[in-house]
Amino acid sequence: MSSRVVTESLLLVGVAAILPIAIANLRAQEPSPHETILLRGAKIYPVSGSPIERGVLVAANGKIVAVGEEGKVEVPAGAKVVDVGGKVLMPGIIDSHSHVGISPSPLVSESADDNEMTAPVQPGLRALDAIDPADPNIRMATAGGVTTANILPGSGNVMGGQSAYVKLRGTTIEQMLIPGAIGGMKMANGTNPKGYGRRDQAPMTRMEEAALARGIYEKALQYQGKWAAYNKAAAANDKNAKAPDRDHELDAVVEILDGKRIVHNHSHRADDIMTVLRLADEFHYRVVVHHGSEACQVADELAKRHVPVSYTMVDSPGGKMETINVDIRCPAILEKAGVKVAFNTDDPVTPSRLLLRQAALGVRGGMSEEAALKGLTIYPAEMLDLGSRLGTLEPGKDADFIVLSGQPFSVYTHVLETWIEGQKVFDRSNPADLHYATGGFFVANHYPALPEGAK
Amino acid sequence: MRALRRFGYFLLLAASCFAVPLQAQKIAVIADHLYTMNGGRPGEPGMVLISGGKIEAVNPGANAQAPAGYRVFRAVYVTPGLIDTDSTVGISGAYNIPHDQDEDETTDPNTADVRSLDSFNPDEMLLKYVNRYGVTTVQSAPGPRNPIAGRAGIFKTRGPESPLATADQLAIRTESAIIFNLGDIPKVTYSEKHKPPMTRMKTAEIIRKALWDTQAYQEKWDKWKKEGSDVSKQPSRDQKLEALGPLVAGTIPAIFTVYRADDIITAIRIGSEFHLKYMLAHVTEGYLVRDEIHKAGVPCLVGPIMERPESPQTVNATYEIAALLEQAGIPMALMTGHEGYVPKNRVLLFEAAIAAGNGLGMEKALRAVTIEAAQILGIQDRVGSLTSGKDADVVLFDGDPFEYTSHVLGVIVSGQVSYQGK
Repeated sequence: MSSRVVTESLLLVGVAAILPIAIANLRAQEPSPHETILLRGAKIYPVSGSPIERGVLVAANGKIVAVGEEGKVEVPAGAKVVDVGGKVLMPGIIDSHSHVGISPSPLVSESADDNEMTAPVQPGLRALDAIDPADPNIRMATAGGVTTANILPGSGNVMGGQSAYVKLRGTTIEQMLIPGAIGGMKMANGTNPKGYGRRDQAPMTRMEEAALARGIYEKALQYQGKWAAYNKAAAANDKNAKAPDRDHELDAVVEILDGKRIVHNHSHRADDIMTVLRLADEFHYRVVVHHGSEACQVADELAKRHVPVSYTMVDSPGGKMETINVDIRCPAILEKAGVKVAFNTDDPVTPSRLLLRQAALGVRGGMSEEAALKGLTIYPAEMLDLGSRLGTLEPGKDADFIVLSGQPFSVYTHVLETWIEGQKVFDRSNPADLHYATGGFFVANHYPALPEGAK
Repeated sequence: MRALRRFGYFLLLAASCFAVPLQAQKIAVIADHLYTMNGGRPGEPGMVLISGGKIEAVNPGANAQAPAGYRVFRAVYVTPGLIDTDSTVGISGAYNIPHDQDEDETTDPNTADVRSLDSFNPDEMLLKYVNRYGVTTVQSAPGPRNPIAGRAGIFKTRGPESPLATADQLAIRTESAIIFNLGDIPKVTYSEKHKPPMTRMKTAEIIRKALWDTQAYQEKWDKWKKEGSDVSKQPSRDQKLEALGPLVAGTIPAIFTVYRADDIITAIRIGSEFHLKYMLAHVTEGYLVRDEIHKAGVPCLVGPIMERPESPQTVNATYEIAALLEQAGIPMALMTGHEGYVPKNRVLLFEAAIAAGNGLGMEKALRAVTIEAAQILGIQDRVGSLTSGKDADVVLFDGDPFEYTSHVLGVIVSGQVSYQGK
């Protein structure tokens, strides 16, 4: 869903400037990333295997070294030991569809940078050029256990630009970007790109949306062919070989055709999802269906193509016509059909702090707890081509994990700690962090404390 | 095991749901954990007997046997129907197109004369949707855009299995409160039209002027009556001022929609200046002025708890707001409010769950959506607890009502089954 119109009635001109944007870098970043740390006593959900009732996790240099039962894992000499007895430990949550940093809080026209509504096909745009690492939404996301996000341009354009795969830490986008990950490509169909129609510009129908998408891929194919011919000729020392003009937009689309860049396609209605699949079939590219409000109606079509769904769980149907059939049972139906489902927030549509909850609602709708946990971890990792690095607690993977006060899918459970690459980025016991979990961080000095033990 | 149990309850429910004419039903609801919300020990086993749309009796005990002739429902948790104290459900439809948006009459900043009753669509799908999550009573209020938005009404909800009904039949109160909207939204709405209000100053002035005018209008009519009610000298009638009459007379309350702390204080200032009976809605930054709210003795309709910290007037929203106000001794119930986009409506049960998990706890959260809500709205003679003689509004759950993974097994409104979990 486009964040652009979430609360259009609330968009104010000139107010953002006077709000105290007090984003401090006050996180206690200890221990040092090179130190060996050992967390013991928690129930561990490694996701790659069965839960471990009393487990141990060892991390060093930002990577996981060992995960296993307490007593069966060697304790490295000099390790800093953290007792998390009675708690629950699971991989850091991966949000495969987020607008943190690019639709920051407070969201006013001055701060909103997700939709470049000047042309419907803009593959040259990069989300990373518009992400504000100081957006409090990013710290709020870590307070909800989110460690990695796919930050996407909005859904106003047929091809809205390149997404950024980031870790939620750091003061520059360069520090946030995952090395080697070039990001995905945002596409959208259905209602939102039709917004151009209101200005008498294309697209004003779904037909034109598909035609525009087909047009850019055909252009990119031709461009790819010209470069292939040139490279071949150049390799054969052909003196007449002339390099085609570089086109930075088409370069990004060729990366899709080459299988290096996954398309993240906003799509709600079942027929729109079929259009997504038709285009992917025609041009042979990898795609993830995002939102997927009616995906369960075409579950078999998705399953037979191994196309996964990044599902946006919302609390009620409607708000626009194409989300009228949103149903809490949809992820369960997809699971049954063999479709991999990730849960997303579409932050700010759902604040990132609630991503665990969104998966829990999937369980309420009939999904297995196992699939719901995978939908927060390894499945979204795979949707970003990061499955070998993130998404499970296995030796060699990034030490991104969270400590919970109880079972992952209980409303009474809180995220206590969030760790990214062996460093704690959120600690609920730290008052400066707490208000990113509850809210109230702008006025933390005046925030009344609840008595100890208030559940 | 829990899944099996749930399936068992479902079978019982399914087997018992056909053939009996709904109107004449006698129903027995047997609970492992009964929350009557009228004293006693909450969460003990017990049975609720329903007859003629009303609660006939509440019998405690683990071994309750339903009398002959009663349809029997069983559940793990049983509570009264939930009460959403401030919402636009019924007048702001799911499709979000001009055809189904009837909440904001933004042709005049003072539309005191309009009533949600006259927009209320008893067949709106969102009304049936919230019923499926246990909401059986809503105060449906005109939307957030006008400083003086009009009059709210209090209605029963219909579920997917409810018979047809008119808004008038569903109404508990047709004119339950006057809605005053402070803060960003009215001034943004009218700034775009280059009309007043474009500042908070003007919003406050519009409300104060309407209240002065109402006082003067009342005096004029009183004087006319006192001087013999001569028809030729009758003052001209004013629909908007007449609508505000009951507020100035103290027979209905005002609800001030407020987010920022300074707007809360403005509401208290106006409320005390005109000696209004009033309450605050949303109260997003209420924790910053808890003492002032407590001192004013004004009840709060709090929520939505999952308010996005996104707009300039909601950046300080906290999941602990209900707990913080309750702790300060402020009478408090929960609400969902108005949504402009996706999702189009919030679910009171889900909002209460977040309050329960963030300092308020299960029982107090349940109070805030049942008996406290009824008392604050003044409808506790009808709804809000499982008490003999009250409307038979009952919700059946297979677990803690607020757990994410619990399910609503069934909903009963006025003694009729409106929804059965599938």
